[in-house]
Amino acid sequence: MINFQYLRTTTAKSAIALLVKDKNAKFLAGGTNLIDLMKRGVTAPEKLIDINHVPLKQIEQIGNKIHIGALASNSAVADSALIKEKLPLLSWALQAGASAQLRNVATVGGNMMQRTRCSYFYDTEMPCNKRQPGTGCGAMEGFNRMHAIFGASEKCIAVHPSDMCVALTALDAEVVVANAKGERKIPFKDFHRLAGDTPQLDNNLKADEMIIRLEIPMNNLAKNYHYLKVRDRASYAFALVSVAAAFELSNNKITDIRLAMGGVAHKPWRLTASENFLKGKEATLSNFEEAAQLAMKDAKGFGGNDFKLKLAPNTIIEGLNLAKSKV
Amino acid sequence: MEKRVLKDDNDRVDGILKVTGQAKYFAEYELPGLTYGVLVTSTITKGKITALDTKAAEKAPGVIAVISHLNKPSAAAYEQEGGPQMKIFYTDKIFYNGQPIAIVVANTFERATHAASLVKATYAKEDFNTDFEKALKDPKAKKLQGQADYKRGIENAYKTAVVKLEERYFLPIETHNPMELHGIIADWRPNNQLTVYAKTQGVKATQGTIANVFKIPMENIQVNSEFVGGGFGMALRTWPLEIATVMASKHIGKPVKVVITRMQMFTMVGNRPAAIQTIGLGANKDGKLTGITHRAYGETSTYENFTEGVVNMAKFMYQCDNVNTAYAIVPVDLGVPIWMRGPGEATGAFALESAIDEMAHALDMDPLDFRIKNDPETDQQKNKPFSSKNIKEAYKIGAEKIGWSNRKNKPGSLIEGPWQTGYGVSVGVFNANRGKASVKGILKADGSLHLQSATSDIGPGTGTGMTLIANKLMKIPVNKITFELGDSSLPPAPSQGGSATLSTVGSAVNDVCVALKSAIAELAANSNMDATANFVDVLKKNNLPQIEVTKESQGGKERDNYSMYSFSIHFVQVKVHALTGVVKVSKIVSVGDSGTIVSPKTARSQMLGGAVGGIGMALTEESIIDHRYGRYINNNFADYHVPVNADVPEIDVNFINKPDPYINPMGAKGMGEIALIGFSAAVANAVFNATGKRIRTLPITPDKILA
Amino acid sequence: MKSSDQKPNQGDSRRDFLKKSSVITAIALTPSVAVKAAESNADERFAQLFEKIPLELTVNNKVYQTTVEPRVTLLDYLREELHLTGTKKGCDHGQCGACTVHVDGQRVNSCLSLAVMNEGKKITTIEGLANGETLHPMQAAFIKHDGFQCGYCTPGQIMSAVACVREGHTGSRAEISEYMSGNICRCGAYPNIVDAIIEVKEGGEKV
Ligand SMILES: Cc1cc2nc3c(=O)[nH]c(=O)nc-3n(C[C@H](O)[C@H](O)[C@H](O)COP(=O)(O)OP(=O)(O)OC[C@H]3O[C@@H](n4cnc5c(N)ncnc54)[C@H](O)[C@@H]3O)c2cc1C
Ligand code: SF4
Ligand code: FES
Ligand code: FES
Repeated sequence: MINFQYLRTTTAKSAIALLVKDKNAKFLAGGTNLIDLMKRGVTAPEKLIDINHVPLKQIEQIGNKIHIGALASNSAVADSALIKEKLPLLSWALQAGASAQLRNVATVGGNMMQRTRCSYFYDTEMPCNKRQPGTGCGAMEGFNRMHAIFGASEKCIAVHPSDMCVALTALDAEVVVANAKGERKIPFKDFHRLAGDTPQLDNNLKADEMIIRLEIPMNNLAKNYHYLKVRDRASYAFALVSVAAAFELSNNKITDIRLAMGGVAHKPWRLTASENFLKGKEATLSNFEEAAQLAMKDAKGFGGNDFKLKLAPNTIIEGLNLAKSKV
Repeated sequence: MEKRVLKDDNDRVDGILKVTGQAKYFAEYELPGLTYGVLVTSTITKGKITALDTKAAEKAPGVIAVISHLNKPSAAAYEQEGGPQMKIFYTDKIFYNGQPIAIVVANTFERATHAASLVKATYAKEDFNTDFEKALKDPKAKKLQGQADYKRGIENAYKTAVVKLEERYFLPIETHNPMELHGIIADWRPNNQLTVYAKTQGVKATQGTIANVFKIPMENIQVNSEFVGGGFGMALRTWPLEIATVMASKHIGKPVKVVITRMQMFTMVGNRPAAIQTIGLGANKDGKLTGITHRAYGETSTYENFTEGVVNMAKFMYQCDNVNTAYAIVPVDLGVPIWMRGPGEATGAFALESAIDEMAHALDMDPLDFRIKNDPETDQQKNKPFSSKNIKEAYKIGAEKIGWSNRKNKPGSLIEGPWQTGYGVSVGVFNANRGKASVKGILKADGSLHLQSATSDIGPGTGTGMTLIANKLMKIPVNKITFELGDSSLPPAPSQGGSATLSTVGSAVNDVCVALKSAIAELAANSNMDATANFVDVLKKNNLPQIEVTKESQGGKERDNYSMYSFSIHFVQVKVHALTGVVKVSKIVSVGDSGTIVSPKTARSQMLGGAVGGIGMALTEESIIDHRYGRYINNNFADYHVPVNADVPEIDVNFINKPDPYINPMGAKGMGEIALIGFSAAVANAVFNATGKRIRTLPITPDKILA
Repeated sequence: MKSSDQKPNQGDSRRDFLKKSSVITAIALTPSVAVKAAESNADERFAQLFEKIPLELTVNNKVYQTTVEPRVTLLDYLREELHLTGTKKGCDHGQCGACTVHVDGQRVNSCLSLAVMNEGKKITTIEGLANGETLHPMQAAFIKHDGFQCGYCTPGQIMSAVACVREGHTGSRAEISEYMSGNICRCGAYPNIVDAIIEVKEGGEKV
């Protein structure tokens, strides 16, 4: 690791000002992804701007929205009484990620910005279009057990590794970002990108922008919900496939429903077709099964991850089952 | 101070040091002028280094030296022809990807790390193969005999049996991954005096290897290794990286510390080699085995051969007149393997104990009944009685505790929602070794006993076991006994491996205690004291501050007359999620049959450790290589999954705890290996019982259940 | 080793660094030190001064004021600078928990935290857990239940276990196991670790 310059600031404004001053500067939040990548030589910023002292840790209800600051820690959000009551799906998803220690320092903004765990991306001796555009995709014909089955491009088949983001996609969150000129809002489902021809870009945050907070609308999804994460060991592992499922039932009819998947695409994957199918229907196993099949319409495996073509719909069904049986 | 004493005689003697962070592991010694070494590794898999550009690294801040084949200091043995092929820094050849090719030494760890990234090698690449299966299929690829073929009765008798099966089992590479990263501190002083702080399972072995390489007298080398953060076999040899560190210290005249990275733990310090095995079993309708054939191929490197006891168990574990085995090794372009807990026997037991279960199923018999039916009274291979063997009793205890009666012989019978429940059993067995060791005992007039031996403790609790042996014999309270180890200047003992430490060193402790007692008795008699007089009084009466005895101890003829093995039975209950393919081990009952249990607390922990390692072997562990590049792609703790706390249920550990009458004075047989051997088969068997799916390729990950 | 488009190392761009350091906002080297170092031509000393920045933190109730390179992790700082080697390095990448310490009372992996990020913070390591000669109840419980073998993961396990109890994640064996899964024990002491935590929780002593 080069001996970078370390700066610390206490306002978002100065953080952004420092960022734009230097092309090779990066924000440092919890550091759990950035420092890891720097140690592996995947990235080598010359300047780190420590934003941990910027007062963006709020978790609060404002009107009919819940606001979560970009620097709120993953554990603060997961353990927050407000989140547990109003957005329990988010709390569960967060608890399914990483470890207690990591969640204590990992931030909401950092979690959104975390990079893929693709092994080829991490090994600087291997080809990887995301790390070094034009070198090829090592995973395409290599080890791709963890990789995408939806929306993959010819350039990159990586998945976004976050659990939190799967829940946020389902919850119709909005991301408030800012640059020197002011703020803008990005719907969460549009925050992350598909790899397309620019696999080096994970999301639509611009180089001069900072994530400020999330705004999540209130909902009636705190009764029937589940975050189901299937992984290679019981904890402290990234998802093979995960499902965030939440719905509102009235007279056993589904009146509102949210379904999203993790571990299957370059971005958290919202299952709109399945949601549309289930809306207004009864919460029955056969409906769940049909919804799961609908979700798989454009799925495609790359060999090592073919099992996800079976695992994904099964996980959707089980996620819905568990959401239903939660009382 | 009084609060910091152990409450229970069975507590670990070094427990306080370990829970307070005071226990010092190799990398934690402060030496004046200490420097930091970081290894540069090859990025190709096979070929030659044609150029090495070290200029940028040498100029980087804090860098003291960059050492490679271009400028290494002399290592006398490497200057001679012959010897090992992989003579670090004495060859420009690349044998595998990740091979150390240079070491950068700087005044801080960060600087050394950065400078190492600046070294640039240019290579002449050659074709390579890291794919074991491919090598196996390639008629041109080398296959070397790994063990003499064994035959008893008719070869391949299973083929003509009434009920027969022939199946193939695959075990991937596993990596030991002790929690402590490997490395060494080397401090080479003028006049070829060397002190090292090592992570080793044998201080004498490390001393000997270094002496051999540099051709300096053993006495010049002091090896310290008091605490070792796990080894599981990988610290049974002195690795090239350690020699490189010694060279670096010799070169710069300062102490050098190297701690390798977790990624390097996959390429520099060995692994459990992949294995492909075929088992043929034949039985008659009554469920008597009539033929066992076990053929195995193990992976090895191109520059050094590695063999282990993969097919040993088949030769004696079951009563059968017709047995044949064969074991070959297949070189690939990877680093050389090394024994990993349970070594080859664990590999072999996965296949054999799975096949036994498959045969029971084919016969529609309860696998436990089938095992009991084929349990041998004597060792047919050696044609000798077993020194002790209580397997039937162990089966009984385990079956009762796991609730074997709830098991249904028909797979897939126990279903609760999406979860399917299954039960599995398997046996583990390992040679009950006893080697040669010396121990010095110093009995003091202050009532204390100090014992010393150049043995190791990589975790089993060597000092605790030895203390308890002495405590029992000498009736000296545990807190008055100390046991010193991990220092090459102490009386010699073998490396800690093959579950032999307690048996070997413990016997020497026994002998020392016996000798001390008779010395005291003699002194008492000479000074007209009662024969039962307390040793403190005897020493005082004789004006002696202390007496000392050193004893060398080893086994005798008993091994000519008896076959000596430790046994274990593993019972597991699993729950398999039909939709997601997730397997949970929900209950474990282990029964150890390893003679007297000298140290109950640490012995139980050994069994726990074996079970946890067994869960890893069965369900999660696999070192994966991209054969296009010859590089590991999951070489870290996030992608190479060792079990975490949530993977492990409560474990019910039981011991037969009956002395073996022959092995050693304590009647205790080793148990480090049996704790793991066979465990993975118990899980695979339980998965079959739960689902009807027989998985013969480990690890049993969700994708395999769904397939 | 990295490919050829390697960044020039910091050693080559010290002058550059000098320029940049004038824009440091919150933390800056005192200008007098900078000028003095620039004038003296001692290359090595120059590097040392310019690549290090001041740091004050409290470890086990003791205040340390030093200078440190920004790239030094809290873990390496504790082990190599302060010689507090109770905190272990098992992976250096946040994947094992051996490096767990408490920062302002919360458990964190010190290998993924820069020392400089902890300016002004209170850090507790395994060495600071016992009360003088009296073991912390969790330390005593680990001995009683043999919650370790080789002992290498143990400091991290104990720091994590204490936090686990304080957080209240001890409702059941399963909950404890889940919240202790960020600490790998290759020796496999997990069931004993859970037993130790249950004992401490049920003992009701303040942790
Ligand atoms: C071993 C391990 C296991 C893990 N397992 C999981 C898991 O199972 N599930 C899961 O979801 N995650 C997992 N993680 C990932 C973890 O959640 C992320 O590392 C973490 O959320 C990143 O947050 P951070 O604050 O530490 O980010 P940092 O590392 O500080 O930053 C990450 C990136 O985000 C940028 N950034 C940070 N904040 C902002 C902001 N406000 N505006 C703009 N850019 C910003 C930084 O510049 C940097 O590029 C795991 C991590 C590790 C190390
Ligand atoms: S999948 Fe994407 S991240 Fe992985 S190697 Fe291919 S391009 Fe790189
Ligand atoms: S050393 Fe920090 S988590 Fe492993
Ligand atoms: S005690 Fe050895 S790793 Fe936990």
